[in-house]
Amino acid sequence: MFTRLLWIVPVAAGVMTITFFVGRVFSGDPTNLYAPPQADAALRAKVRASLGLDKPLINQYFTYLKDLLHGNLGTSFTTGRGVGSDLLERMPATLELGTIALALGIVIGIPLGVVAAVKRDRWPDFMVRVFSLGGMALPAFWVGLILLWLFFVSWGILPGPVGRLPVNVPGPPTVTGFLLVDSLLAGNLSLWWQAARQLILPSLTLGYGALGPIARVTRASMVDALESEYVRTAVAMGHRRPTIWWYALRNALLPVLTMIGTTVGYLFSGAVLVEAVFGWPGVGAYALQAIQNSDFAALQGFVLYAAVLFVVCYLIVDLLYLAIDPRTRA
Amino acid sequence: MTPTTRSAAGVAEPSGSGGDTATPGPVAKTRRRPPPAGALGFRIGVGLLAGYLVVAIISYFWTPFDPLGVGGDVLVKPGTPYLFGTDRLGEDVFSRTMVATRYDLAITVASVGLALVLGTILGTIGGYYGKFWDGAIMRAIETFNAFPTLLFAMLIVSAVGPGILNIIVVLAFVGLPSYLRLARAEVMSRKTWQFAEAARMVGCRSWRVAFRHLLPNSIGPLLAFTAVNAAWVALITASLGYLGIGLQPGVPEWGSMIANGQDGIITGQWWVSFFPGMAILGMTGSLYLLGDGLGDRFDPRRRR
Repeated sequence: MFTRLLWIVPVAAGVMTITFFVGRVFSGDPTNLYAPPQADAALRAKVRASLGLDKPLINQYFTYLKDLLHGNLGTSFTTGRGVGSDLLERMPATLELGTIALALGIVIGIPLGVVAAVKRDRWPDFMVRVFSLGGMALPAFWVGLILLWLFFVSWGILPGPVGRLPVNVPGPPTVTGFLLVDSLLAGNLSLWWQAARQLILPSLTLGYGALGPIARVTRASMVDALESEYVRTAVAMGHRRPTIWWYALRNALLPVLTMIGTTVGYLFSGAVLVEAVFGWPGVGAYALQAIQNSDFAALQGFVLYAAVLFVVCYLIVDLLYLAIDPRTRA
Repeated sequence: MTPTTRSAAGVAEPSGSGGDTATPGPVAKTRRRPPPAGALGFRIGVGLLAGYLVVAIISYFWTPFDPLGVGGDVLVKPGTPYLFGTDRLGEDVFSRTMVATRYDLAITVASVGLALVLGTILGTIGGYYGKFWDGAIMRAIETFNAFPTLLFAMLIVSAVGPGILNIIVVLAFVGLPSYLRLARAEVMSRKTWQFAEAARMVGCRSWRVAFRHLLPNSIGPLLAFTAVNAAWVALITASLGYLGIGLQPGVPEWGSMIANGQDGIITGQWWVSFFPGMAILGMTGSLYLLGDGLGDRFDPRRRR
């Protein structure tokens, strides 16, 4: 188990190295972003020196590493602020959206998978397979647009893509950054409802993508479990069906757990797309803006951030494995 | 591509109805199960993909309207002259969707093919010769896997600049580790099996054992993974297009077409975005079905 924790160190170092070299080697000369176009050679050299670009690449790399270890992700060229504080400010929006989407994916995906496995090769199975295939095969941004078209444009029952709150509605005083939590803390129920309504479509969009793989893995793993000897024994002993399904599900959950860990990675990619559709002011939109402005410090910071969170999620999944499955505790 | 899919389709059928029992016919009947959805899905997938290929080829010779023909009627509803309607520049959505098939299909097939070939070769070497490579390569792969794929592709594509070739190379590079890992695991698991020992015994050189005896036995799971991965690559291609990162602006590509129609969604012109999305769904969906079919065929645990 301890080696598992240690394993983070080389991976994190590798992640930092890759982001650095991709950013520095491919992206060309950032001097052009800082110096005015008509700048002469002397001014350019000065800008280069102030950015630390006049030193050898390897020195730059170590400076970058040193900054990282001090929690300094560099300065964003577009916002003119530290990338770290930018990300921190925008993180709650993405986390709120991602958490709800993941919860939707789990809460809907696992029962669907169980139903499909129990009714295998009959019509509920068929429906679930088509539905979950759609979640995996459809691009999230398209699903978001179509949902908007239906619920906002055609039927007008849900708000449009204007971000976390309707226009001209002031947010609650920031405590956690999660609007659903903060509005409750402020005791403002109508604000909570407004924030929740804004969340419905984006989280459904993102959650549908998460649901597909979870439902499929649940189904496959549950089918295996239902055909196992211990389920046969349970049937022979005359247990009632829900009891048997529960036994099978508990054993079938391990691969599902792995898939949920993988889904977290998807949520980061999906967040970039879904936030673009819904005008959601999260880190995904920040990354997109960084790309469009060739703001490499911001982009590097975001990718690094995502990769580290991803690794942490894998670690959590491993820990949950230990907690759930006694066999891995040896 | 055609010969492999055809032969795979030919063999997929008996295994589908056979289950894991030794006597296929009667036993399967007593269980009173309809033929598994996998076999049917596999055929649908192959058929649809062939359709996409045909459309892509036809688009070189014929489209109903000029796909880049700006200046026609603007935002016409889907109907008789314009099957899928027109966008706000007056371009025919149907023609553009047809032409876009080329780009999405070519990028997907080329990058997946590249990743499959390179990853398989490296993975086979790693799996067969082991030790020296293994530790380092596997750590490197785990590092790569720590990056969410789309983000990593975004980072590199925006760094190296737009262009079809760039996207292909980057997506192949991003996918490579998975193929490497799978090929390595497959080859390693069979390295000490009797047929490999026998091949060594009759004096085959090691590369021959690895590539001519071990690799062909591993190709099934690799192909199944390739199909699923291709769906993922197609989605990423469309996503890059939607975000405006991959191709030059104006190139018809499903993702960028959806982005073009985005404003229309709010004002009620759904068709500009809707049809390219359906085109993506057809392609990725059939790739998943293909992958499922191949998986059922080649994965003994899933064959039932």
